[in-house]
Parts: sequence; structure tokens; C-alpha cells
Amino acid sequence: MNVAVMKTKAEQAISESFEAAAEKLPGTDVVRERRAQAIGAFSSLGLPHRRIEEWKYTDLRANVKEIFPAALDDAMPLTIAELIVALGPLAHVDAHRIVFVNGHHRAGLGDFADAAGFEVAALGELLATATEDVSADLVSTPEGGDAVETLNTAFVTDGAVVRVTEGASASKPLLIVFVRTGGSASSVAVRNFVTVEDGASATVIEAHVVLPGAAQDAQLNALTEVTVGNNAALHHAKVAVDEGKALHLTSCDVTLSADATYRNFQFSAGLGLARNGLNVIFEGEGGKIDLSGGYLARRAEHIDTTLVVDHAVPRCESRELFKGVLEDHGRGVFQGKIIVRPDAQKTDGKQMSQALMLSEDAEFDSKPELEIYADDVVCGHGTTVAELDPDLLFYCRSRGIPEKEARALMIESFIGEAIEKVENEQLRGALASYATQWLGRSSGR
Amino acid sequence: MLEIKNLHVKLADEDREILKGLSLTVPKGEVHAIMGPNGSGKSTLAYVLAGRDGYEVTDGDILWNGESIIDMEPDERAAKGVFLAFQYPMEIPGVAGLTFLRTALNAVRKKRGEAELTTPAFLKLVKEKGQKLNIDVDMLKRPVNVGFSGGEKKRSEILQMALLEPTLCVLDETDSGLDIDALRVVSEGVNALRDKERAFVVITHYQRLLNYIVPDKVHVLADGRIQKTGGKELALELEKSGYAEYTHKAA
Repeated sequence: MNVAVMKTKAEQAISESFEAAAEKLPGTDVVRERRAQAIGAFSSLGLPHRRIEEWKYTDLRANVKEIFPAALDDAMPLTIAELIVALGPLAHVDAHRIVFVNGHHRAGLGDFADAAGFEVAALGELLATATEDVSADLVSTPEGGDAVETLNTAFVTDGAVVRVTEGASASKPLLIVFVRTGGSASSVAVRNFVTVEDGASATVIEAHVVLPGAAQDAQLNALTEVTVGNNAALHHAKVAVDEGKALHLTSCDVTLSADATYRNFQFSAGLGLARNGLNVIFEGEGGKIDLSGGYLARRAEHIDTTLVVDHAVPRCESRELFKGVLEDHGRGVFQGKIIVRPDAQKTDGKQMSQALMLSEDAEFDSKPELEIYADDVVCGHGTTVAELDPDLLFYCRSRGIPEKEARALMIESFIGEAIEKVENEQLRGALASYATQWLGRSSGR
Repeated sequence: MLEIKNLHVKLADEDREILKGLSLTVPKGEVHAIMGPNGSGKSTLAYVLAGRDGYEVTDGDILWNGESIIDMEPDERAAKGVFLAFQYPMEIPGVAGLTFLRTALNAVRKKRGEAELTTPAFLKLVKEKGQKLNIDVDMLKRPVNVGFSGGEKKRSEILQMALLEPTLCVLDETDSGLDIDALRVVSEGVNALRDKERAFVVITHYQRLLNYIVPDKVHVLADGRIQKTGGKELALELEKSGYAEYTHKAA
């Protein structure tokens, strides 16, 4: 049966925005075709809404009211000094760097020419020169991709294409920076590829930052596809810090080969409406992942973390720890699915999601889902919701620490337990500074 | 000088009175031990001195150096020199010991009108004070009290005390959970802080601690009131005869 669904204004606007942008989006004919197919597919999917289980708590159809024009032909100037301001504490992380401004690569701001172990390129430039086959690979929707990933295919302009070559051990992290600047509301779609070849190891930090003074109305759709080879290791972090209004939709799809290690840390602060999606598939035995994150939400901010970990093969280990601080009407959503396939014996999976509620108006929705089809496995999950511990508050205050500072210290303590998961010391320090800054801007509690 | 005058205290959300007209004076430079049976109000006294929520002073007053402190917030009292060494020191996961100490020390210094310490000056001070208590800086890089043994937690309390330089030190059952060696280290830390400007209230159930921290006076607290006051020999008496006499008297 065909059901004609009424399109919302925003859905209509997305189609119109595509019509207007199509000619200017990068890529050859095959890419154009992919984009056209994607927008067609989106047109029948529509924006995800609460009746789709995976989007039950984050209803984009209801919450996305308007669509900002795609950022194209961007020429907003950005100096190195401004980049450093936008990066804030992240500027102190010693790393190679590739920089995108409003979704477009800026070679002048990057610093990756001599990045030992890494091969780094910009997607937009690749699309201009790549063969049809390569282009088609770069601009396709991942298998099982949802409406958001489909939209990414339609609109993607640029992103980092990173390879860590076989056996290489990259000592310095690579920082992929996406900066928003300029006074007009805009919509950006970017896509990264990170491939860590067999036996290689690296740290990649994806940062989404804003130059102070930039328009707060912004929409981001970022997709990162990660492949970690046999015996390879990737430490991956995504840091998103904004000013409270932006729509931030990100998906990260990870495939692990045998004995691969993958660590991912998601830090989110000041995002208006965010979906941090993370899908991991173990394709080889002996893989290990650690997914963790910390998020801070106040006013009416909404941060959704949705994980799907697919133990498709035996003997893999997954660890998940997510901690959220919710103030005012801040809302946290955690959906954690762990699938253990019938063959995946000796699976070891643990999941924990914790929220600290600083106000009675805050909301936390936690939905662990364990689908276990094998019998020799160890899997566990937990959710906790807590307020600040009055005994601990008294302890701090009895040492002379004023109430506001004591509360901040305890919130730092809560989020700090998640941040401790980050192995790079400088990044850990930067994230702790972001948390401190966020607390400093607290709404006077 | 600490002056507690006819102090009546009840739990904020219950009608049960715990301190029933407690009066006590501790001059500067003296160590006074408060001994008493379980449930006599010893810990309540400690918490009320430090300003913990959940207790209500219904009558009487607490003066520290002539100034009433009962309406002060816990951090204001700390700035005025009040320090409570907890019976069960709290763990603060995710906050390094050094961060906690520095935050506390600078908050107190600021309120006392002193300049905040620079990082090198702070580290030097911590090293120096820590040495006497067998606490090295590496231990303080770990989260506050997390994974510490009972002895380590108590030593860490005394280090906080040494750094904040309070003038009224309240020790709540500092001997609980300590073996003889730990007790000696902690007591030496406390004794090193004995000073003519500093008053100590040492709350304990057992006499053992008072072999190490020798008090000027011993008070017996039972049924919410001081029942008897004497010299250090009173503690030995109590060790022999127990508290029966006082709980009986109270009943």
C-alpha cells in the first residue's frame, strides 16, 4: 500500500535546497547521480521521527523547523590566529592538522605535509580528479544508512580522507578541524574516511568548533567511515563545542578486522540538538573497542548518543561508558544496542550510561538493548541517574571551597571519570578545560 | 577560644533532640577530648561545629573567638579557621588530590585576604607537609582518597589540615580503622600542629588515641550533654569502667 506522507516544511526545504545546490556540489557525473538518488531516497524516507524506534527520543521531524542554505562557494576569511581562538583548549594539543572552514578545505591552515605515517587528502579535491569508481565509493550511503546518512550523500562537500599506512605507528595525532565562521545561518555536510591498515596505529581527533561571533544558527551533518585493519589500533575522538543552538547530526561507522583495537571518545558541549551515532561491527576475531563520552547540556539542549555494536564474530570485547551532565531543561538520550550473533561465542560486552541531573526539569532517557544469540558470553549494562551528593558537597565546603566552586568541582569529578578514558594526555587536558569553561558559564547555580 | 553555650540541636527533618543543652569551653592552645558512648551525640557535635546541613540549632550558640558561627556556611567557617577531620573521609573520583588541595587552599587564602599560591610554591608546600605524613606527591596525583586504605585516608585528612592551617581542629573518631602504625603517624601529624594559637576538639570512643594525642582535658558526653569533665586520667578511668555510669545517669 502506498501511503502519501505529508512533507513537513523542513523536508520540502531540503529538496529545494538540493535543487539550488546540486550544480555547485563537487564531483563528476557518477557523483551527481549518487546525490540525485540519495535525495530521491530521502524524499520517501523523510526526516526521522518518534515512530521510528531508533529516533524515538530525538524526533527530527518535530524539532527541525527550517533548513538553512548549504554553505557553498565559501570565502569567509579565517586567519591562523582566529583558528587558534576557535580551537580554544584544543590548540594546545600537539598534532598534525587539516582544516575545513564552513565545510570546505583550507589548505593554508593545515599542517600535515610531513605527517609521518599518515596519508591525508581532502575529499573535495579528490572528487575533482578521482576515477568514476573511486568517486562512487566516496559518495555512497553506507549499507543500512538512515535518512541522515542519506542526506550526507546528497549534500557532502568535503572532509578528510586519511590513511595510516601498513605497519606505521603515527606518533603525533591528526586533528581534523571543522570551523564555522561568518554571520549567516548555514548548513554543512562533510564526510571523513579513516583507514588504518594492518598493524598500524594512530590517533585521530575530529573537532567541530566555532569562531566566536559566528552565526549560531547552523546545521551540521558529518559522517565518518572508519576501517581498522588486522592488528591495527585507532584512538579516535570527536569533540564538538558550540554555543547552544546548532543542529549537530553525526554518524560514525566503524569496521574492525581481527585483533584490531578501536577507542572512541565523544565530547559534546553546547549543542542545541545533537545526535551522535556510532555503529561498530567486529568482522575479525579478537577485536577490542572502548566507546566512551561525556556531554554537557543546559537550557533546552538535547544530546543523543546512539550506539550499535555488532559482535558478528567470536572473542571480541566491547566497553562503553557515557556520562552526561544535564542542567535546566537539558536532555540526554542514550541508546545502546549490543548485538551478539549466534557464532559470537566468548563475547565480552559491558555498557554503562550515567547522568548527573542538576535540575528537576532535566530529562534523561536511557535505552540499553542487548540482543544476544550466543550462549557463552559475558554481557552487562547499567544506567544510573544521580544528583550532586550532598555529603560530598559538604566535604568540599568544609575545606573552604565555596558552594558554587564545590558544585563545579563535583561536576568536573563526574565528567572527569569519562574523560579519563582518553589516552592522549594533552587531549585529556583540553577536554577538562572545556568542561571547566562550560561550568564557568553555568547559569548562576 | 571555642565557647559552646547551652547548645540544643535536633535533626532538621525529625523531632528528636540530639544535643540537649551542651556547654563546653576550649581555650586556644588546648586539646580537649570528647568521649562518650555510641549515640551520645559526638558526631552530631562535630558536624554542627563544621556546619553540615540536616541539623537544626534550636537553642544556644557556638562562639569561635567571640563570634557566633551557627549561621555561617561551612566554607565561611573554614575560612574562620574551623576544620573537621572526618571519621569517614570522602572519595572524589575524577578530581586529582593536588587539584582539590589547591582549590581548597586558595579559596581559604582568598577569604583570609592572603594571595593565592603559585604552582611551584604550592607544590613545595605540599611536598614539605606531605613528607611528615608519608604522603608523596604521586599519591596526590590520584583522585582524592580513591582506592586509599583507611590509614591513607586519615593521613590525607591530616595533610589537608596541615595545609589549611585551621585554628579550631575537630577530629571525629580519627582513630577508627587505624592500626597501631597508622595511628602513630596520624597522631604525630596532629601533635606537630599543636600550637598556642590552636584549639583541638578530639572526639573518640576509645582511650587508645589519647595515648598518642595527650589531651589537656577530657569531657564525657552522654545523652546530649557533657556529664563530667576531668584531666587525661579520666580517659583511663573510662577505659576501665566503661560508660555505663553515664548512660545510667542520663536515663
